[in-house]
Amino acid sequence: MAKSTAWRWRGHASAYLFLLPWLAGFFGLTLGPALASLYLSFTNYDLMEPPGWVGLANYVRILTADAKVADSVRVTFLYVVLSVPFKLGFALAIALVLNRGIRGLPLYRALFYLPSLLGASVAVAVLWRKVFAGDGLVNQFLAWFGIEGASWVSDPDYALYTLVLLSVWQFGSPMIIFLAGLRQVPGELYEAASLDGASALQRFRNITIPILTPVIFFNVVVQTIEAFKAFTPAFIVSGGTGGPINATLFYTLYLYQEAFGYLRMGYAAALAWLLVVVIAAVTALSFLTSKFWVHYED
Amino acid sequence: MDRLRVGRRALLVGSALSLGMGRARAQAPVRLRSYWWGAKERADRTERVNALFTQRNPNITITGETVGWGDYWTRLATQAAGRNMADLIQMDFGYIFEYARRKALLPLDPFVGKQLDLSGFTQSSIAGGKVDGKIYGVSLGLNSTSLIYDRTAWEKAGIVLPDWPMSWSEFARRTAALTKAVGREGFWGTSDAGNSGPGLEVWLKERGKPMYTEEGKFGASAEDMAEWFAYWQDMRTSGACVPPDVQALDKGEIDTSMLTLGKASVSFANSNQLVGYQALNKSRLDLAMYPAGEKGGKSGQFLKPSQFWSVAATTKYPDETVKLLSFFVADPDAGKLLGVERGIPASSLVREAVAPTLDDMGKRMLDYVSFISDKVSDLPPPPPRGAGEVLAVLVRTNQSVGFKRLTPAQAGKQFLTEVTDALSRG
Repeated sequence: MAKSTAWRWRGHASAYLFLLPWLAGFFGLTLGPALASLYLSFTNYDLMEPPGWVGLANYVRILTADAKVADSVRVTFLYVVLSVPFKLGFALAIALVLNRGIRGLPLYRALFYLPSLLGASVAVAVLWRKVFAGDGLVNQFLAWFGIEGASWVSDPDYALYTLVLLSVWQFGSPMIIFLAGLRQVPGELYEAASLDGASALQRFRNITIPILTPVIFFNVVVQTIEAFKAFTPAFIVSGGTGGPINATLFYTLYLYQEAFGYLRMGYAAALAWLLVVVIAAVTALSFLTSKFWVHYED
Repeated sequence: MDRLRVGRRALLVGSALSLGMGRARAQAPVRLRSYWWGAKERADRTERVNALFTQRNPNITITGETVGWGDYWTRLATQAAGRNMADLIQMDFGYIFEYARRKALLPLDPFVGKQLDLSGFTQSSIAGGKVDGKIYGVSLGLNSTSLIYDRTAWEKAGIVLPDWPMSWSEFARRTAALTKAVGREGFWGTSDAGNSGPGLEVWLKERGKPMYTEEGKFGASAEDMAEWFAYWQDMRTSGACVPPDVQALDKGEIDTSMLTLGKASVSFANSNQLVGYQALNKSRLDLAMYPAGEKGGKSGQFLKPSQFWSVAATTKYPDETVKLLSFFVADPDAGKLLGVERGIPASSLVREAVAPTLDDMGKRMLDYVSFISDKVSDLPPPPPRGAGEVLAVLVRTNQSVGFKRLTPAQAGKQFLTEVTDALSRG
């Protein structure tokens, strides 16, 4: 008996040995800091002096007394609600076009994916700023048609929409996933439907979409979480201010300002945990509603 | 007995080791990091001084790190939290109290007269770097606020220069006249300085109010602020200053300023920045005092240390770092390399050595500082914790008025509410 446990342990030991790098990373770099930040969210930690316990004060202020939280929540939700559907719609449209078996597919696929590779980078955000500036490329183009464009990035009415556009432009990764999903749709279903006289639109609505729903669901969840976490574009385009007049003050950017701009790390930790709760809630909601619209073939 | 012998031998070995280590230590390579904000011009000069120091102290190498003002403080805070601050840190009057009181900086009093040579400094210029009675920063130069303006543009347009003595209403008239006289699309008389902390501070002082009181409260009322915002709203309406969507391109650094971008002819800046501005601008720039109250009104400007060198409390090499600091502020050769780019050297010895080597621009700055020295008032109380956020609120509230989201009166009220909240949170 003892011998067999020892033997079994030895078997497990090698497994744990192989898992060690991952486990060390998980406990040391993910779980540890996460727990530390949970603790800090109940303190007035200012990065330099030892944290002092303040109980729920940070959470109370966030939920009842902070006008900038309200501003940043509004901006963030608007960004999520606009960027996710547009981006996915665009990704699906391009995927459908590419799926028609055009020549040079790998090339197009790579080209369309390119913005996603560049997308999170600082360089593209800087470029975006230039392109949409008052005397930028967009307005020079509009000027050919006699249209005088606004200063897109520095006008509070438009600044957020330039960021939405930047996000939509990075449609590559959901597009690749859609494309993979489209490849799974059995051709005979389309043939049968065509014989029954179904139009292209009907085939799309009644075959493609239902079979694609698991993929759509996956993309919605992933992209929503990504959109909630967006930080770099707003940070670069607004120069870290979230301006003009808080028009691009993403929740994550506000969190960053409180933490590193004004040395209120405890408060920022509380902001971060509320973001976790909101993302978890939204994700849970998507899973709950998925019962009603996602079809699994088996 | 045996034990004793072992003990003695161990002792011998130990002292031999420590002797050897002592000798090795004197030559052991020391790597120092220094960190400052500023444009390329400053980086070039600072690196030259670092190189000269290394040449004279071959065992010490210095790695310079530099970013723009906009990113400087967030990065410093992160490094402070990670106990990873550079050894030598450029410090600002607005932040030295925060960092000193949070024990992130090393008190320099024990080094004075040893590694730190302050013999050319007056007591008052040393006092500028003191927090709660101890020295935490040594002035890298004396400066004051200053309009930096495109003299060529003004002369060509034939408008009276925006020079002292000039009231705020005259400033408004002259800049509006310049906009009209130049008549170029996308060009206005002045940048929108409704967002300028120093501009507001000078304006308030001229009405007898400090920006911050000794107790760390905001020193002005909602009505004062409403007037300030209204002044700049009138400037926009008259075309004297740039519209808000253009001003929003300014990221608070010299290279994104309206003057450098060619959108306006006046920048609300600091006198030492003339060097940095001139490096990026083709036309001849000049210095002038900020406007004052009506004619004969006293100026709200003051002379201040433009910036300090401070030493991180966490440094492993306090002696060497202080020696480097001292080299920057007290060595005439270093002084010549630095010029007046960080302001007029605080040490009279360095000043005397530097003065004959100055070019025309440096002389203009020297003249400016001596011109204003009998017109300025005392150094105001230091900015309290939370003052950094006050500047951000000022930028945003001024934008709200510019984009017509708030009337000046509403903006005054909202500004005071937000600022009071920010200062109470620290």
